Amino acid sequence: MRQGGMGFSVSGAQQRTGGGGSLVSSSEDELGRVYDGQVVIRLFSYVGLYRGWALFSLAAVLVYTAATVCIPVIVKWGIDSNIQPFIGTGKTSNLGLVIVVFAITSVVHYVSNYLQFVGISKVGQGILYSMRTQLFNHLQSLSPSFFARTEVGRIMSRVQNDILQLQETFSLLVLTLADVLSLVGIISMMMIMSWKLSLLTFAVLPILVLLMAFWQKFAKRSFVRIRTAIAMVNGALQENLAGVRVVQSFNRQSLNLSRFDGLNREHLNANIQASMYSGGVQPLVEGLTGISMGFVILVGGWWVYNGTLEVGVLVAFILFIQRFFDPIRNLTMQYTQLQRSMASGVRIFQLLDVKPEIEDKPDAEDMPLIEGDVKFKGVNFHYIEGIPVLENVDFSVGKGQTIALVGPTGAGKSTIINLMSRFYDVIDGTVEIDGINIKDVKRESLVTQMSMVLQQPYLISDTVWENIRYCHQEVSDESVIESAKLVGIHDFIIGLEHGYDTVLDERGSNLSIGQRQLISFARAIAANPRILVLDEATSNVDTYSDIMIQQALQKVLKDRTAFVIAHRLSTIRNVDKIFVINHGSIIESGTHEELINAGGFYFHLNKINASLQAGSD
Amino acid sequence: MDILIRILSIALENKWRLVAGYVSMIFSVLATLAIPTLLGLAVDEMLSDYVNRETLVWMAVILFVLCLLRGLFDYGRIYFTDTLSQMVTYKLRNLLYDKWQNLSFAYHDQEHTGDLMSRATADIESMRRFINLGMVRSLHILFMIVVVAILMIRIDLFLAMVSLIFVPVLIIRATTIIYKLRLLWAKVQEVTGELITILQENLSGIPVVKAFAAEEYEKGKFSVKAEELSDITFASNKLEASNSSTTTFFFTLGIGIILYFGGSRVINGSLTIGQLTEFIFLLNILNFPIRMSAWIINSYSRAIPAGERVFEVIDSPSPVIEKPGAKIMERPSGDVHFSNIKFGYKDSDYVLDGIDLSVKSGQVTAILGAPGSGKSSLVHLVSRFYDPNKGSVLIDGIDVNSYTLASLRKNIGIVAQDIFLFAATIRQNISYGMEGADLSDIRAVSEIAQLDDYIQSLPDGYDTWVGERGATLSGGQRQRLAIARTLLMDPPILVLDDSTSSVDVETEFRIREAMRNVMKNRTTFVIAHRLSTVRDADYIIVMDKGKIIEEGNHETLYGLGGAYKDIYDYQHDFESDVILDASLNPASPEEV
Repeated sequence: MRQGGMGFSVSGAQQRTGGGGSLVSSSEDELGRVYDGQVVIRLFSYVGLYRGWALFSLAAVLVYTAATVCIPVIVKWGIDSNIQPFIGTGKTSNLGLVIVVFAITSVVHYVSNYLQFVGISKVGQGILYSMRTQLFNHLQSLSPSFFARTEVGRIMSRVQNDILQLQETFSLLVLTLADVLSLVGIISMMMIMSWKLSLLTFAVLPILVLLMAFWQKFAKRSFVRIRTAIAMVNGALQENLAGVRVVQSFNRQSLNLSRFDGLNREHLNANIQASMYSGGVQPLVEGLTGISMGFVILVGGWWVYNGTLEVGVLVAFILFIQRFFDPIRNLTMQYTQLQRSMASGVRIFQLLDVKPEIEDKPDAEDMPLIEGDVKFKGVNFHYIEGIPVLENVDFSVGKGQTIALVGPTGAGKSTIINLMSRFYDVIDGTVEIDGINIKDVKRESLVTQMSMVLQQPYLISDTVWENIRYCHQEVSDESVIESAKLVGIHDFIIGLEHGYDTVLDERGSNLSIGQRQLISFARAIAANPRILVLDEATSNVDTYSDIMIQQALQKVLKDRTAFVIAHRLSTIRNVDKIFVINHGSIIESGTHEELINAGGFYFHLNKINASLQAGSD
Repeated sequence: MDILIRILSIALENKWRLVAGYVSMIFSVLATLAIPTLLGLAVDEMLSDYVNRETLVWMAVILFVLCLLRGLFDYGRIYFTDTLSQMVTYKLRNLLYDKWQNLSFAYHDQEHTGDLMSRATADIESMRRFINLGMVRSLHILFMIVVVAILMIRIDLFLAMVSLIFVPVLIIRATTIIYKLRLLWAKVQEVTGELITILQENLSGIPVVKAFAAEEYEKGKFSVKAEELSDITFASNKLEASNSSTTTFFFTLGIGIILYFGGSRVINGSLTIGQLTEFIFLLNILNFPIRMSAWIINSYSRAIPAGERVFEVIDSPSPVIEKPGAKIMERPSGDVHFSNIKFGYKDSDYVLDGIDLSVKSGQVTAILGAPGSGKSSLVHLVSRFYDPNKGSVLIDGIDVNSYTLASLRKNIGIVAQDIFLFAATIRQNISYGMEGADLSDIRAVSEIAQLDDYIQSLPDGYDTWVGERGATLSGGQRQRLAIARTLLMDPPILVLDDSTSSVDVETEFRIREAMRNVMKNRTTFVIAHRLSTVRDADYIIVMDKGKIIEEGNHETLYGLGGAYKDIYDYQHDFESDVILDASLNPASPEEV
């Protein structure tokens, strides 16, 4: 292992963050404590899931260590008992037996070596799988407010990097265990063979440990510096690629290149510095090994000459010395890794400990087929204590009605919809659908009967089929096509290279925002919802797509209860009822004509906007 | 092979580092391999009938020195080759960066950022490993094996043969396994990517996931992928385990073989115990390099495709090239003439098909047409972001080809549909084209762009950070920031893509004001989506499938009763619709 991993390659880190630029900010690199009891205990609770394999691996590690320690001993046995005494005697020695024992030990060594790797990998991968899925499943149970206050990049980095780190911690703990075991084995075997020579050999150990501890500090700093540097380099590259059109329009090429060169050079210098200093420990460690071996040769040699030490012991010692510096070196190398892992562990378990705000009651039943009566009774709601968002909202909507929610930004329109879909639970009052308090039924059975189109279109990297069908796998191909036709995106889809089988690009970049929204709209319709909700569905789309959606709306609003948050008068004019919302309360309700005639808030809203529009035209 | 030679030639730019690396390597091998010989001599010495204390002391001292030298030379080898490989990647990164920022839009239209990034990261890393492993370590190991063989043969030919016979076999075996491993790793990378995509889409789409109660569906998708990933990773680990444990096994067994045959020879007196010891130590030393050799061979096979992908970028000719002897363009008055333009990625499939258009200095030209009719391509030809396949673009009567790209683009300002802001302060973003501009100038253009009030209202004002992790600006604000950024350059020719649809009335009003301000006294091309912009234009062209189908001013075109009238009437009904949910407080229309 001598030449193993002394370099400071950051390839691992690069590979993980990969093409997507760096998701890991430098703050994520913070090193934690080396040992955090809580983290280790929780980590090992996952090992329990793979108890059989874990015990198996442990057994393999023990056997492997024993075999490793035995090999130099057999060499010693061969030399001292079956070779040296027979020199020039002409007698036949038991060398054959030695070889048979040696061969058996080699095979045991080989098999246990293989099995320990396999076992550890099995457990490690199992833990990785369990943690990933557990974390993902946990994320699904958290409410939107959690995601509103947490950056996606951060969560991604938890699931990707921190879990990998934690899995490495596990392998590391196992490896550390193996290193400690082999160290104990080697030391005891050496002590048994010659305790005096052993003590001489160990004399350099304290210096080695001090040296490594000192070097470790430095290595950590170099490592962080390199990671930060490469993150900046890749960030700059990524930004320049993404903004290349602006760069060229503004002739920034030479300025940008000199900036990039600065970052790139810092990365180079960080690496050069790391190679220069970190490698410096190498000659020192080798020198110490040399001192150890020198002692063995000098003192051991003299004892051999005196006949107080067998020469085989000396050979075994030298073989041991080479094996014995490795675990020590590994142990110190693993120090930084352990720190990083513990920090990762803390972050992951923090995330796992976030409590879901909405949970089904234990005795919750499935929601029966929704007819579409919606009733809010004295509903109060706030996101943050003391800042009410909805105050005493009361309304009742009959099945099949279309309701428009109108009001200034921040008035509480979206919140009403969010409560109806149980994104959040009401603080006071009840929300009833068909007379059933929605808190009493399973959320999934309720919400699968509703569809929403939100302001931001949403696509997944999958075929158009899957994008429209989404979680409603029961929807037939015909219904998918029918929905696409209804929203006016069908012709565009069949014009694509593979039609409905076209795999949409990751961020839908092969479609315009408007087209993406039309597909989201088709998805909402294909699910054949009992209640349809449109939340500012056309705010971000171009005029062409807007027109398409307006036309489709006329058709799909029939036969189902619908809530629309929209700002086009043409959409709102024909609805059954308009709720005007301001400061968290419904201040007016009625049809367009009724509200205009009433001359209230709605009337003024119309007037002001109409004049503004006319003025700017 | 060409690729490897090319990588080598870049490495040779730092010749002395490579030489120093090789020299250190040679001495480190010599020191390393002298140790077993010395140990063998020492063993024989101590077993001899008379031992001179002084000889033992000397041997111990030499042993210490040899270990120290081994460490020093190893350090030298690692230092020189590591830094050499870093210098090569430094150079390659700079080359890539500069190439990319100078390649024309046509290139970037067809490449994905993710793929390009993987060239700059994973591929460059493979090339770095090749320099470390392929160029230096391979010779290191080869040299080591040769010296070990010589040392062994010197003592006993037969024993040398039985000890080393399996070395080539192990190397070949390990190489084939590594090849299989590479395929598995590629698969691991691919599945990891898919898993990340599922996660990323899930997280960014959480509101939709919740709205459709799709949690179980998402969990299922994720768990299937996670399991697949875990299975493949396990398979690759198993293969790795089998490789490394087999190599170790043969070396352990080798020691046994030496012990047997060598031991027999010691007994019959043809070998000394010291020599036997030397054999065992020599074999022990070879274990790690042999295991390493598979990686080295692997580094060759990885460097070739990686190098191909990197050099492909570095060598790719930009579709837009500056003519030799190109002139510097002075500030033009701004007459623009498109003369029989044909443009397309493929010769048969023109995006622009025979465009003839003359625009006078200071005129505003509105361009209408369905998505894909060629509007953006047309305006991008002026700045030479693309070159036409046929025909030419003239500014003030001179072909744009005859100017340097920098001087040409300096005179043309662009506000694109997709507004790209850099992760920097608002001030830095506005002065992007004019680094170090005075704050007073920056404020002046922001005022024209109707953005100064808003920026002033932010706690950090012009020093507010925007971009990925900074304050998020609304679509309308981003657009106005882009207008300000362009205005600061004061370009005589301007290209605007005016595309936001249903922003609230107040925002729309402000954007319109900003646009009117900015178009004054400039030759302007507007890709227009608003009727008000279109009506105000001096000249209107309507495009369809790469051709101009109607042109003239509003009255003329409306009078024609053709495509323009249809679009206008249709959109007019739509736009006259009252928009209801604008904020009621016009002083702060965009606060959330």
